[in-house]
Formats: sequence, C-alpha cells, structure tokens
Amino acid sequence: MTAPAPPRSVSWTRLLGAELRWVLRRPRTLVMLALLAAVPMLMAIGIVLSDRPRRSLLSEVAGNGLTLPVAALSILLTLLLPLAVAVASADAIAGESQHGTLRGLLLAPVGRLRLVAMKAFGVLVVAALAVAVVTLSGVIAGWLLIGPPAVPGGGGALLTMSGSVLPLSDAAGRLLLVAGWTLVQLAAVGAVALAVSAFTEHPLVVLSSVLGGLILFGVLAAIPALEPIHPWLITTGWDAAADVLRDPIPLDALWRSTLVAAGYLVAGGAVLVARMLRRDA
Amino acid sequence: MTGTGTRTTAARSDTALEEPARPAARVRDLRKVFGSTVAVDGVDLDVPAGSVFGMLGPNGSGKTTLIRMLLGLTRPTSGTVELLGRPVPDGLTATLPDVGALVEGPGFHPFLSGRENLRRVAATEPRLSSSQIRPAVSDALERVGLAPAAGRRFRGYSLGMKQRLGLAAALLVPRRLVVLDEPTNGLDPAGTREIRAVVSDLRASGASVILSSHLLSEVEAVCSHVAVLKAGSLVASGELGRLLDAVAGGWEIETTDPDGALRTLRAEGATARPDGSGVLVEDGPEAPVLFAALVRAGVPVHGLRRRRPDLEELFTRITEEGP
Repeated sequence: MTAPAPPRSVSWTRLLGAELRWVLRRPRTLVMLALLAAVPMLMAIGIVLSDRPRRSLLSEVAGNGLTLPVAALSILLTLLLPLAVAVASADAIAGESQHGTLRGLLLAPVGRLRLVAMKAFGVLVVAALAVAVVTLSGVIAGWLLIGPPAVPGGGGALLTMSGSVLPLSDAAGRLLLVAGWTLVQLAAVGAVALAVSAFTEHPLVVLSSVLGGLILFGVLAAIPALEPIHPWLITTGWDAAADVLRDPIPLDALWRSTLVAAGYLVAGGAVLVARMLRRDA
Repeated sequence: MTGTGTRTTAARSDTALEEPARPAARVRDLRKVFGSTVAVDGVDLDVPAGSVFGMLGPNGSGKTTLIRMLLGLTRPTSGTVELLGRPVPDGLTATLPDVGALVEGPGFHPFLSGRENLRRVAATEPRLSSSQIRPAVSDALERVGLAPAAGRRFRGYSLGMKQRLGLAAALLVPRRLVVLDEPTNGLDPAGTREIRAVVSDLRASGASVILSSHLLSEVEAVCSHVAVLKAGSLVASGELGRLLDAVAGGWEIETTDPDGALRTLRAEGATARPDGSGVLVEDGPEAPVLFAALVRAGVPVHGLRRRRPDLEELFTRITEEGP
C-alpha cells in the first residue's frame, strides 16, 4: 500500500487570510479604528470653532483642508497610533497564549517561523489600516469642514508652510509620503511590541511596556545631560511629519527617523524570532 | 480497515493500518526541570501503535508536562522524544498533521463563535484543502453534538461544550495519533460516555490514543495500556491486564470459621484479615500451600475466589507507597 500522502503545508495566502479574518473580526480592532477615524473629525471641528489664530501645525490647517491629515497623523503618532499597534501586538502572541490558541497554531502545525510571519502580518495590517483610516478621515474632514482642496486665489490644492502652493497631485504624493513614513514608525513599534509579546502571556504587559517605553523616552528626551542618546530614541524623530508641509521637503529628518525606526524594527524582529523559536506554548 | 463505519472515523483513509509496529511515541531518559522543580525525571516510555494508552498520576505528577514534551510544546531539559517514528521537535512539521491533540483544556477565542473558532483551526490544518474546510468544520461540529450551538460565541459555552469543541478540533481530520489530556473535564456522564465511544472508534480505526485522566474507571474501561507517573518518575507502565495481574490481588476465602482460618493462614506466614463473612488473604505463600493447610486444619471452606485488583487499587498502591 502507499505511504500516507506527505502533508502539504498550508499556503501563505490561506494562512495570512485566516490571520486577517481573525484580526478584522476582533471587536476591539474595529472600535480602535473607529475611534482613530473620529480624531481628525474632532480636530476639524475644533479648528472651525476656534477663532484664535496661533502659529502651530494646527493653525496651519485653518483654511487649508489637506494639511489636516498630516496634522492628525503627527499628533496621533505621539500616543494613540502606537497604542493601537501595541494592542494588536499584545493580542497577536500574548493574547493567543493566554487563550491557549497559540498551542493550537503550533500543533496544527504552523511552523514557528511562519507563525512569526503570520503574526507580524496581522499587526502590520492593523497599523496600515490605522494610518489609512486617520489619513482618509483627515482628508474627508478637512474637505468637508475646513474647505475643499483649493488654495483661495492660488490655483492649487495645498498651501505649504513655506508659502508655496502645490497642485493636487503633489499634495496627494506628500500625503502618501507621510502616511508611509508613519507606517514605518509604527512597524518599528510593532516589532518591539511583538518581541515583548513573545515573552509573556499577559497582553497587559505588552501594553504597559509600549506605553511605559514611550513615556520613558519622553523623559529621557527632556534630560539635557542625555543628549548623546537623544538621536537614538525612536520618538525623537517623530516631529518630522510636519516636514512634508514644507517646500521643498527637507528630507534629512524624515530619512534619519526612518533609519532609526529600521534599527528598532530589526532589533525587535531578531528578538521576536529568537524567542518564538524556543517559546513554550 | 474495519467496516465499523463510525462517524468519527468514516473519513479515515488508508493511513492507519499499514503503519508497522513502530511505536506511536517513544521517550528515552526524558527530563524536564523548571527552575528548581523536577517536573519529569528520567522517563522511558513506549506507546505501542494502535494502543489506547492511559497516562495516570496524581496532580502535579508530570503527566501534562510529559504530554507537552511529546508534542513539542515544551522543550525537554534532556532526553529524546519520537512521535510516530520521527524525532521531536525536528520532525514535527511532518508528524503533527497526523496528530490530533486536546491539551490543557480547549483553547479558543471567546469573541468568535464555535464555528468561526473551528474554521480558524481548520485554516491552519495542512490535511484540509481550502474547499474542504467548510464541510470538515460542519462534520466535526455535528460529530461532537455542537451543531445547534455552532453560531453562538465561545464565551457563552458551558465547560462541557468547550471541551466538545476542543475534541472537534482534535478530530477535524483523521489522525494516526490522538492525544487527549483530561478529555472528560467538565463533561456530564453522557459526555463522558461519548468520549469513551470516540476513543473506541479511534481504536477501531487503528489510531493510537494517549489519554490522561484522573477518572480511573474511565481509563480502565477504554485503555489497553497504562503508565503511572509519580513525582515526575514513571513508576509503572505496560499492558493494563498484566499490570493488574502483577499486583498480588489475593484470595477471598468464604468460610464459616473465619477465626480458625485466620489462625491457620497466619501460622503459614500469610497476611490475612477478616473480610465480610470470610477472610481475605493479601500476601503470603503460594495459594496451594495455604489451601492445603486449611484443609488439614479442618477449616470448612465454602468458596475460593481470586481477587483481581481494579485500576483504582493499583493506582493507590503505586502512588501512595513511600518513595
């Protein structure tokens, strides 16, 4: 008689599809995305209602709807977007372990490396959705509440902080740039959060690590004596988002913060893989 | 292939019976240390192919740790494990599709329905093609009697329903080895009987079953082999019948003169005590010597019965003996 058919391994599309389905069926993912979408709306309402002109990123938005998504991403990147990514990362491994489902995945068997890839994909999807939701909500809220993408008397869509006026296509390109840059930063946060998640079965540990880390970095950044390490804190580069509203774009800060994020991504990823290859489930 | 055609195994193909006598699991000098606690200590174990292997032991004796090491969920501190003839963990990718397991309670997501949870398990199951997922999930739910509750969230399931869903996941596709860790936890008597039926079906189909349970009567009813763990060490293992025989069961002697019988037996060096209306000989010289002595002493013997210990007695004796 013939030997049993060799087990085919499950295709990547099916595996990632299952993860996507799981991520998107999780009520908290949807609630988080809805809340994130509400923030640019609230900002727009605030700007419309406010009559105090102040020089800030927010005041730049006044009468210039397309700057709203940039302002929203920049403000949300300080806390809420990393938090959303931390929630997804916490559920991805620590949460699965807590529910005993990580065992099921390993017994299926989803190979350990494939499992890491599947989980990283799920977190990346949440991060991408979060960025997309904020950006789109910003564009729509800016358009409807602040004004259509047209600079009054300027014949363009976006008035930069440098005073020049950009056509719609350039403005869209810059929105994509800032969205992509934000996603890279969030991917770095996600890699570190997943690494923490690989060490625990308590999702709260992951959340508090990420929140604590952000606060700690804020404290470190405020201590002048620690200036030598400031460039290496991932949070230091996070004010670079506003650079896309200058003309021409100063790429230094964007580029540097991307490299720092890549460093965190690689370090987090290495720890994550090393741990998941040995983890008990 | 047996034609018993039970639903549990109806889809079972030609994978089970042609397996040579290679053990379903083989463990050599296995040891696991957590910090300063030795959870499993120098265990050697063979689970014969086609057997229903009962894993017994008091709480904390290392049953679950041993099972987790069999499945590659925990790394041994030292020692080797083979599952279906392949090393653990290196051969797991090839082995695990043939293994169904319910370990440490069913693990599912509370916010998903039973069916969605099972679909997620099925999606990662290499033996199922994508088009087979939906029917396989429905079949499995049907088989464990959860079809009516399939649309409800796992959160609202009773302990027994959760256990059934775990069983459904383990039996999603035909397996060569099924590992059930405390499968009757939280089940009512009817559920317990169903588990017994499932195990019998699996055995009839040629699959091997490793079962840990604290319900000794259940183990005795379904298992062909048992292993008894105590404080991380294997204190007995083998065919259930032989193990029971090896425990001196003693003789029950029916007599109208228990005092005379006791005197005579003790004089022959036997350990005996009154038992109901008669006498129970627990240990001592060979039976014929004792009976001859009774006859010589003129003790009226109305009946003799060899007493076969049940698993509970075996278990108690093995696990409660001093170290």
